[in-house]
Parts: sequence; C-alpha cells; structure tokens
Amino acid sequence: MSSINTPAIVMDNGTGLTKLGFAGNDLPSWVFPTAIATRAENSNSKYNKSTSSRGGQTSGGNLSIKRGMEDLDFYIGEEALEAAKGPSYSLNYPIRHGQVENWDHMERFWENSIFKYLKCEPEDHYFLLTEPPLNPPENRENTAEIMFESFNCAGLYIAVQAVLALAASWTSSKVQDRSLTGTVIDSGDGVTHVIPVAEGYVIGSAIKNIPLAGRDITIFIQTLLRDRGEPDTSLRTAEQIKQQFCYTSSDIVKEFNRFDSNPEKFAQYMVETVNKSRTLTVDVGYERFLAPEIFFNPEIASSDFLTPLPTIVDQVIQASPIDVRKNLYKNIVLSGGSTMFKDFGRRLQRDLKQIVNERVASSERTSGAKSSGVEVQVISHKRQKNAVWFGGSLLAQTSEFKSYCHTKQDYDEYGPNIVRNFSLFSVP
Amino acid sequence: MLQLDAKNLLVEDAFLEAFDTDYVPATLDRIITDFDFTTYHISTPESKEKLLFSINIKCWNDLVKYGVFQILKDKYDELIILTEPEAGWNFSLYVDLTQFKLANNENKKELASRLSLLKSHCFSAPFYKAFNRHDILAAEGPVDPNNIYGEDISTVTEEVFVLNYRDSEVIYIKPSNDRVTVIFSTVFRDETDKVFSKVFLQEFSDARKRSIQTAPQVINSHREPPLEIRNLTSNPFNETTGEEKTYITFVLFPRHFSSVDVRWNTIQHIQLFRSYFHYHIKIVKCFLHQRMRYRVSEFMKVLNRARQDSIDEEKERKTVSGRRFELRS
Repeated sequence: MSSINTPAIVMDNGTGLTKLGFAGNDLPSWVFPTAIATRAENSNSKYNKSTSSRGGQTSGGNLSIKRGMEDLDFYIGEEALEAAKGPSYSLNYPIRHGQVENWDHMERFWENSIFKYLKCEPEDHYFLLTEPPLNPPENRENTAEIMFESFNCAGLYIAVQAVLALAASWTSSKVQDRSLTGTVIDSGDGVTHVIPVAEGYVIGSAIKNIPLAGRDITIFIQTLLRDRGEPDTSLRTAEQIKQQFCYTSSDIVKEFNRFDSNPEKFAQYMVETVNKSRTLTVDVGYERFLAPEIFFNPEIASSDFLTPLPTIVDQVIQASPIDVRKNLYKNIVLSGGSTMFKDFGRRLQRDLKQIVNERVASSERTSGAKSSGVEVQVISHKRQKNAVWFGGSLLAQTSEFKSYCHTKQDYDEYGPNIVRNFSLFSVP
Repeated sequence: MLQLDAKNLLVEDAFLEAFDTDYVPATLDRIITDFDFTTYHISTPESKEKLLFSINIKCWNDLVKYGVFQILKDKYDELIILTEPEAGWNFSLYVDLTQFKLANNENKKELASRLSLLKSHCFSAPFYKAFNRHDILAAEGPVDPNNIYGEDISTVTEEVFVLNYRDSEVIYIKPSNDRVTVIFSTVFRDETDKVFSKVFLQEFSDARKRSIQTAPQVINSHREPPLEIRNLTSNPFNETTGEEKTYITFVLFPRHFSSVDVRWNTIQHIQLFRSYFHYHIKIVKCFLHQRMRYRVSEFMKVLNRARQDSIDEEKERKTVSGRRFELRS
C-alpha cells in the first residue's frame, strides 16, 4: 500500500496541551490546548441538563428531536478558547489526569485535528498515540475503536509516555547504550510523576506522584511578587519570570549571600501594559533560585507535601525489583517543561548521590563487605520540553515502526483487543 | 463549521513566522503533509535566511503534462524556482528572506497564503487547461439552441484529461463546447463507508433539484463508468483492481468558470471534494458513535435500576463486638 511512504503521525494528547506532528520532524507542528468548545446547552434550555453529564450527551431527553446541525458546530485548540469567550459555546477538556474521560469530545477533537490541522487523510497514514502509565486496557480499546472504525487509519501504535521520554534521551551525548531502562521524571503543568521503566515496561507498582509542578512554581513566584508589592503580579508575569530567569542553585544560603554581596544578580522584567502606553518594571530577586527550590525543599511553598524530589526518586527505585535498581539509578531522564531549569539535573544528581552514598556506607558498616558502589546519573537534554512527542517522532521514523503497528486488517480480523499488546521497539 | 480550507495552515504559519520582522533565522527541516499524498518539505540547506520549499505530489507526471510549470511560474514569479528540484521532490522554490525584509505586512500575508496554496495551484493545471479548451471549442462550434435536452454533442475523440491522483482513484476532466465535465472515481475499502457514501451521494444529486439551482449538476453511478469516459475503460486502473468503483460526475456549465475569480473558486472546491466527502463520512460515524454511547449508558441505567438492592431491612445490625442495635422509641 502507498501508505508505506507517507510520514507517520505522532499525536501526544496531554491533560493540558496536545502535541501533533509528523514523524521525522524535530518539533511538533502544532501545540495547542486539549480543549474543545461545543455549542452551549443553555441555548436550548428546553432539554437542558447538567453540563458535567458523562459521555457528552448534549441533551438529556429526546435525542431525535434535539440533534441537528449543532453537533457539527465545535472548535478545538486555540480556536476553542477563543470561541468559549462568547456566550454560545462551552469549553470542555476531554482529558483528565492524562486519561480520556469524554470519548465523544475526544473523537471530535481527533477528527478536527487530523483533517483541519494536520491536513491528512487518516487512511493514508500510520498513527502513534501516547498513553499515560497505568492507563486501563479498556481505554486503549476505546482508542483503537475510534481510530480504526471512525477514521479507518492505516495503522496504529500506542506507546507509553514514559517509554517515549526515555527514547528521547538518546539524543543526549551522555547516553552510551540505547536501552529502554531508566527512571523518568515527568513534570508538566499539573503534576510530577516519577516512573521507573525496565526494558520498555513500566513498573506500575513503584510509580509515585508529586503534587508539585509548573503551576505551583508559578503561583509561588506570584506570592513572592505580591509580598514585595511589585507593580504587576499577574500570573502571566510570574510565568514569564519563571521561564526567563529561574535557575537551580547548589546551596540556598550561599546563593542568598551571593545575591546580597552582588547586586547585579537581581534582574528586572519589563511588563507592557495593556494599552502599551507605558511599561512597568518588575524586580526579580531571590525567586530566581527559590522557585525551582520547591522541588528540593517543598516546605517553602507547600504545607502538606514535604518530601523532596530526590528522596521520592530514591524511594521509587528502592520499590522496584532489585535486579534493575542499578540501571534505574544510572539512567534518570528528565521530561516536561518544569524540568527545564538550568542545572536542575545536576542538583538532582548531587542530592540523590548523597542519599545513595549514605545508604551504601551504612550497609558497608553493618555487613563489613566492600560495595562496588552505585552510579547515579541524571540525564538532561535539549528536547526535554516536548520529550514525549520527540521520542515518538524518533521511533516512528524508523523503518521498522510500521511493522510494529497493528493495521486496519489486523483490527478487522481480531477485534479491538489486539491493541492490548504492542510489541516493544527492539533497540537498534 | 466543518469547512476544509484549501490552504495548508502549517505552511502558512511557517512562512508567516519566517517573514515576521523579529524572526531569528534558524535551521529548519520540516515535513508537512496535505491530502492526496502530497508532502511539503521546508528546509534551510544553504543559509538560515534562504528557505527551500519543496513539494511532492503523487500524480506530478500527469500534472506536468497539463502545463503545471507555466502556472507555477506565473504564480510565484518573484521567487527563485529551481530548474532542478531537490532530490526526491517534484518542485522546489527558494524563498530568500533578505529579499522580503522591506515588504509591508499585507505583502507578507499575501505571499504566505499564496505559498500555502501551492498544492491547489499545482492541481489547478488540468482544470485551467480544460477551461481554455472549452473556450476554443465554444468559439468553434457555438451551442446549438435546438439542443434543448442539453445533450453533450462533443465527439469521443476529444481528449479527456486524466489525473491519477491516488491509487486506483482518478479524476477525469472532459471539456466540450458548452460544459466541462469532471468525473471522480473513488473506491471505498470499508463496508460501512460504502453505505454512507451512497446516502451522501444521493443527497448530492438531489440537492440541486430541490433548492440550489446554480450548483453544478451531480450525477453518480456505481460500478458503471459514465459515458464520457467509457472509451477509457482500457485504462489499466479499471480492470486490474476489480474493486467496486463509484463514479461521481460534476457538470460545470460556463457560469461556473465565467471569470478568473469564479474559475479559481470552482477549482478549489472541486479539488477538495474527495477529502471533504471522506471528512464528512467520518464525522457522521463520530456522531453515530456518540449516539450509540449515549444509548448504551441509558440502557445501563435501566439495567442498574432493575438490580435488586441488598435486602437491608431484614438484616440484623450488629456492632463489631457483636452487640445488637435496639431501636428505642
């Protein structure tokens, strides 16, 4: 079939943002919010029902009367946010906590993203979709049903996000062997996951979540700005400061002293006011290094979650099977926008190494035997921001990719349960 | 609503970004696809300021026959068109950013949108040729006013433009002295799609009868090729595959290509027909699924209601230690 020659399509639907693109590119072609704006129900109050009703039923009562053209009236992505500002559309996020909640909306979201944004006929292309770790197999089946039955896509592969993040780290020069074993620290906007992966399989029982991520850092910066009484303390400003000025320090006390003795460390951020008539100047101070510090000393920002990230990573690896632990320590991969701070990887490596060395030393003392030592290595690379998508693009452009996919013929022959299993990429 | 745009949004975005005044030149190597096995490639092989924009179309050889080069030369005359396209691609042109630094915003937008229509321009070649041929034929033999049934009197010898734009799917264009006939042949691999397509096509043919008088006439036939192309059945595509084919005929009358703008409009719409058709079939399936999911959840509710609750009343309530609750009133 001629679909062999067309580039595969890589779709990474996250809770907040969707990344779409073609295999072989180094950046996703589209990054937009996973949002869909549908016709608001109150425009037809007769059949009004609560908006949160599951399954996206646009009407409660009589389906045959209600359903008309308004089903076709929806927007996705940026256009959805725009449309939702008006009175006649309501905004929905079909993915929650990484998992698809509303299949009706998701189906339409995919439809529009394939035809309108990527401009491709799904029959001609292979697809690589991503799923969060611990996604129930039923969700996979639902996805396959939609992809094959609605869209007749030529072939489908569903990969676990953490595995793709590992694959993305192969671009780093520190990685010598391209193995699919390692610990993935995935920190997006909402939540941070620490996921151990052994030979391409996620060790589900050892996964840990940290309720601190990008948004918490932004809010933390915002409170600091407010406390100081800066002229502009909007969330947008805080986010810009986070992205432009923040870095990870090696020692807070020393860093405080360095700031006090060296005033040029303080930065200034210009904010344009809405009417662009004048610019406001916001001073940027200690938050430059304090904000990323909440991963390492969470008590400065949160009162209920107090375990530092290195400890969590150590706990996760300790909970994994003993024969992979060494490799998990050796290959800790960062992924997601909130791991982009300068020297974040180095700090994590140092703190984790300290914990590990203490444990090794104490076991040497109690047993009297000499340990061969544990190597700890945190890998940061240039593609961290869209690591999952990039890993997908990397794998989907290999010539073997299409042989790993389940095709439409397979689906028609065996039914949706074939997608419960995908053969892993053999490492080239 | 469910409109498909002829332009490629990604190509347009890429160039708009590049034309922006505060654009930092960067190394690019991007692949972008479009419908009907069309692929674009934007790269910067020489310097970061010179974007190489290439296109690959499956039926390029057919397009070349119908004079695609001339059309592209007219459309993109201010850009450098490579005589020798990038290896593996059909057509390449250079966009030199240093050249456009001074152009104003309107020009930038216009150029970006023109570039994003590259595929449409390529596909327009046979259509333009057919329209021009029609003009010649119309001048040679004016429409016979006695031909009240509007039969096509053109000879079988008139050349039919053939565009093998997809595997086993072809566009035929036949000019005549009073009309231009465009015939799509499509194959549906999926059984469900076949059924939907029949309903849709029936609707297409009926729509004109009801309300939209100015729309081109649509005739569809299943498996049987229309008369216009019957003499082409020796075409290997029709026999070897043996698949069930559907033919959709659009009859374009002179009012559909009276002026330059109308022509361009007609061409754009007719090109997108197949994608549009498939798009709609697919979205119809989405809505059917939506209804099915809704029905299932309703049935589940009914079933759950039928389930007996555990009989609480008769059961004795005890505390952990085994003491009984006594209701005192």
